Amino acid sequence: MTQDVIGKWELSRRRVLGGVAAAAGLGSLGYGSAAMAQAAGPWSQAPRGRVDRLNFVVWTYGDIYSRIAKQFEADWGVKIDSTISSFNDHPTKLATMFAAGEKIDVSQSSPFSFPNFIEQGLVEPIDDLPGAAEYIKDFSSFTKQVATYKGKTMGLPYFAAVWVWNYYGEMLEKLKIDKPFATYEEFIEHCLKAKKDGVSRYPVLWVAGVGLEQLPGTWYQMTWNRGGTFFDNQGNHMLGPGSVARETLKFWANTFEKGLDISDPESLKVQFTTSAKAFGAGKNLYRGPNHHYGLNVANDPAQSPIAGKVKVHGSPGDGKTIGVTHVYFLSSANRNKEWAWKLLQYLGGRTKDGNYTQAVGLAKDAMLGSGYNSVMNSDAVKQGWAPWGDVPAILKMWDKAAYIGEVCSSVYQPWHFPWTDQVNIEVQKTLTGQITADQCCDNLIKGIADAKRKI
Amino acid sequence: MSAARQDGRRWFRREVSAARFAFLMNLPTMLCLALVLAYPVIYAGYLSVHRVGLAQLRRGEFPFNGYDNFERLFEDRLFWLALKNTFTFTFITVGAEVVLAVLIALLINQSSIWTSRITRVLILLPYAIPPIANGLIWSFIYSFQFGFLNRILFSAGMISEPINWAGNPETALYAVTVPYIWRTLPFAILLVHAALQGIPRELYEQAAVDGATAWQRFWRITLPLLRPIIAVILILRTSFAFAVFEEILAITQGGPGDATWVAAWYSYKITFSPPNNFGMGSASAYVLALLIGAMALVYVRFVYRRVTL
Repeated sequence: MTQDVIGKWELSRRRVLGGVAAAAGLGSLGYGSAAMAQAAGPWSQAPRGRVDRLNFVVWTYGDIYSRIAKQFEADWGVKIDSTISSFNDHPTKLATMFAAGEKIDVSQSSPFSFPNFIEQGLVEPIDDLPGAAEYIKDFSSFTKQVATYKGKTMGLPYFAAVWVWNYYGEMLEKLKIDKPFATYEEFIEHCLKAKKDGVSRYPVLWVAGVGLEQLPGTWYQMTWNRGGTFFDNQGNHMLGPGSVARETLKFWANTFEKGLDISDPESLKVQFTTSAKAFGAGKNLYRGPNHHYGLNVANDPAQSPIAGKVKVHGSPGDGKTIGVTHVYFLSSANRNKEWAWKLLQYLGGRTKDGNYTQAVGLAKDAMLGSGYNSVMNSDAVKQGWAPWGDVPAILKMWDKAAYIGEVCSSVYQPWHFPWTDQVNIEVQKTLTGQITADQCCDNLIKGIADAKRKI
Repeated sequence: MSAARQDGRRWFRREVSAARFAFLMNLPTMLCLALVLAYPVIYAGYLSVHRVGLAQLRRGEFPFNGYDNFERLFEDRLFWLALKNTFTFTFITVGAEVVLAVLIALLINQSSIWTSRITRVLILLPYAIPPIANGLIWSFIYSFQFGFLNRILFSAGMISEPINWAGNPETALYAVTVPYIWRTLPFAILLVHAALQGIPRELYEQAAVDGATAWQRFWRITLPLLRPIIAVILILRTSFAFAVFEEILAITQGGPGDATWVAAWYSYKITFSPPNNFGMGSASAYVLALLIGAMALVYVRFVYRRVTL
């Protein structure tokens, strides 16, 4: 047993060293600009105080947290405790720990929960902390919109993603269709042909599982692509009769069982990664629109029987799409602000060596985008993403992406979260034919007032 | 001084009345229950009439807001829907459990059938499975395209197209009842089986001598003598079914739409999802607890009978 422990520790240590070496290697290969590896800076200096341990509360993603924690321990000699839950359970876990008076140094948030966390006093601004100004200068436009709240910077970026379509190339060839759809009408035509020819019983797999950006994100993206939004600049809803959002929902609902019956019923359950895995079974023609990094599952030979045959595709028309950045933040329940800031930088900024180790690692290992311009413009993305998809095509889509808050500005409001609960319920009822798209939108309009009263 | 000591000794030697002895024996349990159960219940009641969010919990200051939480609760359409779904779920699961428990217990009570001994052991297995694991197992079984259930039905020629058991609003709530019954049924079987073993054999022998049929023996002897244990099962299973959560979390998460929102899921979402309204969550949990208490009283009043032989 002791041997096992040593073996594991050795492996971890090797990984840490490997990670550091890889980061250093990337720097020496010219992976990015000088912004990516600045050894001399506030990130390389030890905080004045002393702590025995620090902790972070995050949602799970592979083994990135154990790796970065080991690196922090190796660099600074401070033990890191981690509390890791699933994405959907994370707000609950964080809230419970905070309410119970536990110490939390660093945590993370989707943009949808973030205003709520800030309003409830969980988050500390970081503007005045050493090195923060340099990070802010390097923020992408998405990151600025998520991380800035009432004029203060409240976090550092975790990852960024844009919404894209996927298609199963071999199935398209079998259907003798030379290229994927360019309009929504063509999309329907392709799906109907696939169904009629017996090539696919359910040609399209949507991400319509309950979540903050799963089902809602699909609706936001298609509405934005068709030229609509959910709220105008004054915060008035745009869900009334004839609105783009309402018409988009009608189109979407019509693809389900009580309409054209081309949508995979599993759509109502799947999240981002599970939908990529389900698509990997090779039973659907199209999957989308959702986070671009699903390609690293659908095109991974270890996880997908059709690996290498899943292609990325842009949205119809001018190709407008949406994007998002998730953030790490400094908790107000921290045990030592300077040390918590140091840990926050390891997760969402630079490590001691001046590299964006975590952001580069996420790009290479998980195909995630970064909230820093310097990382997005670097070879870490261009080369790191290459095994899974057409990088220039995805980056072109990236350029056409608007932050999700421009489509649905309620994400900046604390009532967005309870309203999203209702969005999930009403839209699923629409997709399953229990109510019409008109009823759904009318209910959601009424629901705005209810959600405001819930906070 | 010695007289006082002698009086004390006499007090200790005096025989304690049965009532006082019972009280003393129950006292430690009562204290433990008061600490573990009564305190949280009373505290939840306190929270239900206060404005409690994360910030207030952290500060420990809760502004009093009267019955505001209850008013908002009763105005919420989703709360009433969750209650309706909870009643449907409870009615189906508890009804099925009682009937199945009696039937299966009668079967495994047959000592002349040697396999009943094996069945007695096997029947306990589902009870040993953690509820969340049970939910996950069944979510795989129900999977639309790759699920075990659809595959069996398809292979047996019973269906030509897969059925979306947990994803169809018309079947989802019923689909969740099956895993719940599967997990909790062994408990009810055990209770009924124990009660069956307590019924004197002579009663059946006398009835047989009098020419009673098997059905008459069951209806006139077994069922009346099982009434107290059935009342216990009804009370326990109803209170647990009212608070069903794990299967909902693992299989449907309340969906599709609001088809499987039940009361405990509602309380959980209100409390632990931003904006973390602990006050309203406590209010909804309190309403649920009062309903469970009322149901228990109804069972005791109408089902429980003192058994006299």
